[in-house]
Amino acid sequence: MSCSPFDLKDYWLHELDGPRQVEVEEHVQNCQACREELDRLRLTQTALMSLGEEEMPRRIAFVSDPVFEPPLWRRVLAGFWGSGPRLGFASAALLSIAILVSALTRPAPAPVPGTVTVIRDAGAPGIGGDEIDRRIQAAIASSEARQTRKAEELVKRIEDRDRRQLEALRLAAAQEVDYYRRNERVLTANYGALRPQEGEAR
Amino acid sequence: MIFRAVEDADLIHQAARGAVEAYNLLVSRWEKRVYNYLLRITGNREDALDLTQDVFLKAYQNLRKLDDPGRFAPWLYRIAHNEAYSMFRKRRPETDVDELEPESVENGIAFGGSTVFPIELSLAVAGALERLSPDQREAVVLKIYQGFKFEEMAEILSCPVSTVKSRLYSAFDLLKAELAPIRTRGVS
Repeated sequence: MSCSPFDLKDYWLHELDGPRQVEVEEHVQNCQACREELDRLRLTQTALMSLGEEEMPRRIAFVSDPVFEPPLWRRVLAGFWGSGPRLGFASAALLSIAILVSALTRPAPAPVPGTVTVIRDAGAPGIGGDEIDRRIQAAIASSEARQTRKAEELVKRIEDRDRRQLEALRLAAAQEVDYYRRNERVLTANYGALRPQEGEAR
Repeated sequence: MIFRAVEDADLIHQAARGAVEAYNLLVSRWEKRVYNYLLRITGNREDALDLTQDVFLKAYQNLRKLDDPGRFAPWLYRIAHNEAYSMFRKRRPETDVDELEPESVENGIAFGGSTVFPIELSLAVAGALERLSPDQREAVVLKIYQGFKFEEMAEILSCPVSTVKSRLYSAFDLLKAELAPIRTRGVS
């Protein structure tokens, strides 16, 4: 058991702070037992240090292959492309920015000066709901009348075309009939006598 | 022209930005110490070399997580400690790590650098270290051979300072007893 004010091994290993180190040092100068203990510790350390360090069988070194070290911007880009959530977030952020910029830079829709001027110059009163209905009905009636007229014209045109085609057919048929009749008369006149009598052919 | 030694912190900053050459310089400064630390706690050269490579690779991959470059050494040794114990667990998953013993002295640790000491002392020291528990041996290696402070050892080993001191001082008591006969026979 040491009589040192602090642990003698702590002193020997220089683990005490300055004042305590000095205190133990002063104690050791006047204490035979502690000096002998310190001598044993020093001899033990000296013996331990007889084992030297070994050299390494081979050195260690790292090699930087540029193929596997792309530049920073490419690594960042690859990081984004390789991650669905990050890519989605980036797309949403870009879309938000585009909407914001568009909203801030787009001018407000201006009124059409000409239209406003005409109404004001005409002194027209405000148009009510009945007036609108009346105008709509008038527009519908006008449109229906126009459509009816066009339909009637179209029907009339079709009927005329059919009538002409029918007359042309009748004329062609009459000419055909007349042609056959004339042929029959000519044949009868030329070959009627040569016709075999019934019973001679057998 | 002013010459200034490049500090580890400078190299760490550059390596964290991807400067592999700076990291190689950093590795060259620390690889021998880390290798010998792993050699002492594993007792096998091949394992120590493989683990050293793994340690520096893992350190490079995590260098940006190191907030204080001044704490590089304990941070690096923490990785080394974890890698070594991870290897122990993989090899003998059902065995308590404390029960693991390194290879015999005939296979392993060299006695180089002891020209001023007889080989008998080196053999005795190597044998005495082997007879310590793995925790005690690692505490001695970190303190005597690597020169860490108690707080750094506690950070590396993930345990309180009181535990570090307990392991170390019990190891010293055993080593004193083991090595006393050699010293009294008068190696000098």
